[in-house]
Amino acid sequence: MALQLNLLHEEITEERQRKRDPLKLGVIALCCFGALLFLYYGWNAYRTIQIKSRLNAAEHEWQRTEPKVTAAQKRAAELRQIIDGTKVLDGMIENRFYWAPFLAQVSHCVAPNLQVTSLDGSVLEGHHSVAVALEGLAAAREPRAAAEEFRQLLTEQLEKTYGEVTVTFRTLEDLETTVNLSGVSTPSARFILSVNFNPKRGDTAKTEESAKAIAKSK
Amino acid sequence: MKPRNLTKDQIQKLFLSALGFVALIYCYFNFFLGPLNKTRASMIVAIANVQTKTDSSKAEMKKTANLEIQAKEATGRYEAFKATTADGAPIAWFPPKMRGFFADLGINKVSARLESSTDFKQKELSDWVKDTWAIDLPQSEYGDLGRAIAELENSEPLLTIQHVVIHAVPDDPQYQQVSLIAQTALLKK
Repeated sequence: MALQLNLLHEEITEERQRKRDPLKLGVIALCCFGALLFLYYGWNAYRTIQIKSRLNAAEHEWQRTEPKVTAAQKRAAELRQIIDGTKVLDGMIENRFYWAPFLAQVSHCVAPNLQVTSLDGSVLEGHHSVAVALEGLAAAREPRAAAEEFRQLLTEQLEKTYGEVTVTFRTLEDLETTVNLSGVSTPSARFILSVNFNPKRGDTAKTEESAKAIAKSK
Repeated sequence: MKPRNLTKDQIQKLFLSALGFVALIYCYFNFFLGPLNKTRASMIVAIANVQTKTDSSKAEMKKTANLEIQAKEATGRYEAFKATTADGAPIAWFPPKMRGFFADLGINKVSARLESSTDFKQKELSDWVKDTWAIDLPQSEYGDLGRAIAELENSEPLLTIQHVVIHAVPDDPQYQQVSLIAQTALLKK
C-alpha cells in the first residue's frame, strides 16, 4: 500500500472551516426562509388586491344603485300615503248617506190629501243614524187616520231600503180650520213625524233613478 | 456521529443568526403580513356589508315596482279626488261653483258660506281639510231640488250632505226654501 502524505492539510482544514461557518450558513438559511416568506407575502398581497378590486366593484355598484334606492323609498312612501288616503276617502264615500233616494221615497208616500210643510233631516255623528222631522197637514173626513196612513206607508217604504226604521208621531192635533179639498170643505190635522233609521249601502246607483222619480211625481 | 466542538466565535455567530431569524419573523408578521391580513379581513367585511345593502336595495326597488303596479288604480282615483279641489282658497271658488251648479239645474239665488274648516282626525288625510258649508236655496221646486241633490251627490264624491232643511214658502206653496249643510274634503294647497 502506497503511503499518502497530505501536504495541504492546513489549507484544507481552513477551507472546510470556512464552508462550515455558522454565520454564513445562518445567512443563507435566513435568505432562503426570507425568500419563502416573501413569496407567501406576495401571494397574500395578490389575494388582497383581488379583494380590493371586488370591493371597488361592489362600491361602484352601490353608488350607482343608491340614488335609485333613495328615489324608490321616497316613491314607496308616497304610494303608501296615496293608497291609505284613497282607502280612507273611499270609505267616506261608501259610508255617506244619499239624501236624494230618501226624498224620493217621502214624495212617493205623500197622498193628494196630505201636505208636507217642513222637512228637517240630519245625519247623526258617525253616520250610523239619520233623524228626520216631517211636519205637515192631513185633510180627510178622518184627518188623523190620513196622517196615520201616511206614517204607515212611510214606514213600509223606508223599511225596504233602510234598517231600524222608526216613524213616530211627535205631534198630531186636529185643526179647527177646514181645508178646501177638491171643492169640499174638509177637516184637517197638523202632524209632526219623527223618523229615525240606519242608512244602508247601495244607495248610489239608485240616486239618479230617484231624482227622475221625484221629477215625475211632481 | 462525532460531536463537533464549537468555538466561541462560532457560538457568537450562531447566536447572531438566531437573533436575525427572530427579528425577521417578528418584522414579517408585525409589519408586513399582519397589516395585510387585517386590511383583507376588513375589506371582506366591507364587501359583505355593501353586498347586503345592494341586495336589500334591489329587493326594495322590486317591492316599489310591485307597489307601483298595485297602486295604479289607487293613484288614478287619488288624482281624480285631487282634481275636485280647484286652485286657490276654497272660499273663493266653492260658493261660485255651487251657485253655477244649481243655476244649471234651474235653481237660482243660491248662496254658500263657509261654516268651519278643520283637519281630519285620520293621519292618512293629513293633506286634506274638512270644510263645512252652509248652502241656502231660497226658492226651489221639490222636483228640481231632488234632481239637484242627486246630481250633487253623484258628481261630488267628496261632498257629504249632513243636514237638510226644507220649508214650504208660505206665499207660494209650489216652492220650497232649502238649507243644506255639506261637508267637503278638499286638498290643502
